Amino acid sequence: MIHALVTAQSVIAAPANDYGLALPEIIMLSAICAILIIDLFVSQNKRIITYLLTQATLIGLAIYTIHYILHISTATEYTFNDSFIRDFKGDVLKIAIYIICFLVFLYSKDYLRERRLFKGEYFVIGLFGVLGMMIMVSAASMLILYLGLEVMSLSLYAMVAFNRKSSVASEAAMKYFVLGAIASGMLLYGISIIYGVTGHIGIGEISSYLGELAKSKTTMPLSLVFGLVFILIGIAFKLGAVPFHMWVPDIYHGAPTSVTLYIGTITKIAAFAMVVRLLVDGLGPMHKEWTQILVVLSLLSLAVGNIVAIAQTNIKRMLAYSTISHIGFLLLGFIAANENGYSASMFYVITYAIIAAAAFGLIILFSRKGFESDNLNDFKGLNERHPWYAFMMLIVMFSLAGVPPTVGFFAKLHVLQALIKADIGLTWLAIVAVSFAIIGAFYYIRVIKLMYFDKPVTEDNTPITAGADMHIVLSVNCLLALGLGLFPGALIYLCSLVFTPAV
Amino acid sequence: MFTQILFYGYAAILLISAILVVSARNTIHSALFLVLAFFTCAVIWILLRAEFLAIVLVLVYVGAVMVLFLFVVMMLNVNLEPLREGFVRNLPVGILVALIVAAEMFLVLSTKGFKLAEQSELALVDATGYSNTKAIGAVLYTDYLYAFEIAAVVLVLAMVTAIVLTMKKSVNTKRQNPGHQVRVKRKDRIRLIKMDSEPVNRKTGDTKSDDAEKGDVK
Amino acid sequence: MLENYLPVLIFLVVGVGLGVGLMFVGFVISPKKPDSEKLSTYECGFEAFEDSRVTFNIRYYLVAILFILFDLEIAFMFPWAVVMGKLGWFGLISMTIFLGILVIGFIYEWKKGALEWE
Repeated sequence: MIHALVTAQSVIAAPANDYGLALPEIIMLSAICAILIIDLFVSQNKRIITYLLTQATLIGLAIYTIHYILHISTATEYTFNDSFIRDFKGDVLKIAIYIICFLVFLYSKDYLRERRLFKGEYFVIGLFGVLGMMIMVSAASMLILYLGLEVMSLSLYAMVAFNRKSSVASEAAMKYFVLGAIASGMLLYGISIIYGVTGHIGIGEISSYLGELAKSKTTMPLSLVFGLVFILIGIAFKLGAVPFHMWVPDIYHGAPTSVTLYIGTITKIAAFAMVVRLLVDGLGPMHKEWTQILVVLSLLSLAVGNIVAIAQTNIKRMLAYSTISHIGFLLLGFIAANENGYSASMFYVITYAIIAAAAFGLIILFSRKGFESDNLNDFKGLNERHPWYAFMMLIVMFSLAGVPPTVGFFAKLHVLQALIKADIGLTWLAIVAVSFAIIGAFYYIRVIKLMYFDKPVTEDNTPITAGADMHIVLSVNCLLALGLGLFPGALIYLCSLVFTPAV
Repeated sequence: MFTQILFYGYAAILLISAILVVSARNTIHSALFLVLAFFTCAVIWILLRAEFLAIVLVLVYVGAVMVLFLFVVMMLNVNLEPLREGFVRNLPVGILVALIVAAEMFLVLSTKGFKLAEQSELALVDATGYSNTKAIGAVLYTDYLYAFEIAAVVLVLAMVTAIVLTMKKSVNTKRQNPGHQVRVKRKDRIRLIKMDSEPVNRKTGDTKSDDAEKGDVK
Repeated sequence: MLENYLPVLIFLVVGVGLGVGLMFVGFVISPKKPDSEKLSTYECGFEAFEDSRVTFNIRYYLVAILFILFDLEIAFMFPWAVVMGKLGWFGLISMTIFLGILVIGFIYEWKKGALEWE
């Protein structure tokens, strides 16, 4: 076909693209360019302008996308030669990314200022990362998915290294970069094998090709399984699932807390989107093959995450291992391999991102210039100093542990329900997951014990130096862990709606 | 036949130079062998009629990436001896891994699963006027427009991060600004002041008043 | 089609052959009378102070990175230039957007002073 195009002497026709579908990406890119240039002409004491423009972009896009799904369309549409997909689940995930990114930047503002990191580039690179996530979320071709992943990863590497004076952060960035590059390489290798075997790069085309193949054959050819394994390794690296988790604790610990907040929340949603696009939308017909591998990844993540977290003395490291165990839970929904399971996973990842934003937000709140407040001992006797925030931390910890009536409980419940209802003989896995969650509850509750029953190590009565905006938003965010737990219906309904096959 | 001989010749050079990249003692030599490996690879690509990719390989990798490699080698000035200590000990493991990877690749490639060769006769097209570069150009800016523009985003992102992470503004350096130098006006440099003439001491030529001098003498 | 590259191949063979041949000739016919003084390092009569490789300033790195980025940009322009006549307005606009995005980056680095050597 390409050959025909070239030999024909006529003018190559312009492709019929519907640019309106990609409007959020176009707006985002234009906003990034505008902010990058405006920031050059803003003096350091007016840097807040850059910050406000960034937040305005995120809020504007969130409002636009909400408006779009409510009043315009929730249909699945393709453009850019079928490499861009706009669908309901993508839009919902994007809204979650915009709003949580808004929270992330809001919590980071004072932290960055105190450490002289309050530069325009921080927000620009953060927005580039969001753009990468948006590209991933609405990728309908393996090529675009990979490019989006690279845009996101490049931004993350730079953000981890943003504090150039900190050697810990530089080391973390280095590790992240090297391991991330290996993961990208693995993923790309897997993609190239799948492309070579199927002859298609579009996710939908690959899916229909594999569907045809699955009908005619009982087992998939070895070469496809080989490609799948490489793709799964890449995914596991990016998700931080055991045994590809070694970067997670170091990066969470070494990065500035504001960057940990960014990595620990919205990138998880993007990673979820990547798994949905690659495994569910693309390699869906091979689900027999990939669920087996996911069972192993999930089991190991649950075990290592929950057990190693107990031994941590640094709360950022502890939350890193907690993330690993949550990834294990998230994968359970994919193992169920049906719409029910995917929507449960989606509910899990969105609520996890909200709670993780609150948890890291609280760590940022307690820190101040020259004091990171990231050791568990720093939380001793917190109740005496800041009773309100000790209570907030309590809610967040309960939610991460999965104690009812917080939202963490419902998230875990739905994933487990989906797994058992799928009726694929993996009830034992659900039981194992519950027992590891109970082991995991230990280290969350230890934080609560430190806050309420221990005496403070030092006489430290420094007041919290955050603005009113942070106090209000952070409190609301923490209470959301409780509120979504009491009224989870709407979000659950939304998550199940997006995975319902269109009639 | 002739192309086959060429292919095997260049493939041999490629393999040897790739091994030398890893085993050369001097880092600069490794980098130069890498240049050779890239260049030979480009020649092999030309044999496969992928001219555009071959040119890009020479232009970008040999021309730019290797320059960066050499800069980094120079900047870090790493003493490689300590890094090599575990070389012999880890060699069996490395060879084992390499063999496994090779075996797996052989398995995959031998399952005759690869569709590409059948689907496109491109690799074998030898029609007059056919050009690989044209074929890429025909689709890259139309069908793959989205990916093409994302490539621009990646480049700009790399630019911004490189500047943020490595650029240091030192305050102490003094430097010329030719723009300012050109724009300078006479009044910026010379100030003419009207003042009354003062009596001059004949002997010393000093303009100080006599009273002061006398005072000094005392 | 590959015949077009024959001159290049001949050029390569002659170039490599000439280089290797001259070195070989020099190796064979040059007088060799080595002694320990001739083979020792000589630096104004002193023992060498340090390694001949001096660490480069980190600023070179930025220059090299920016060079690579614009080099890649050029690489994207080759196929475009070849088929530009057939691509028509659409190709021109897509390239303009591509370059526009990069020009934003260029303005940024110019204004930041990354192109100045101080």
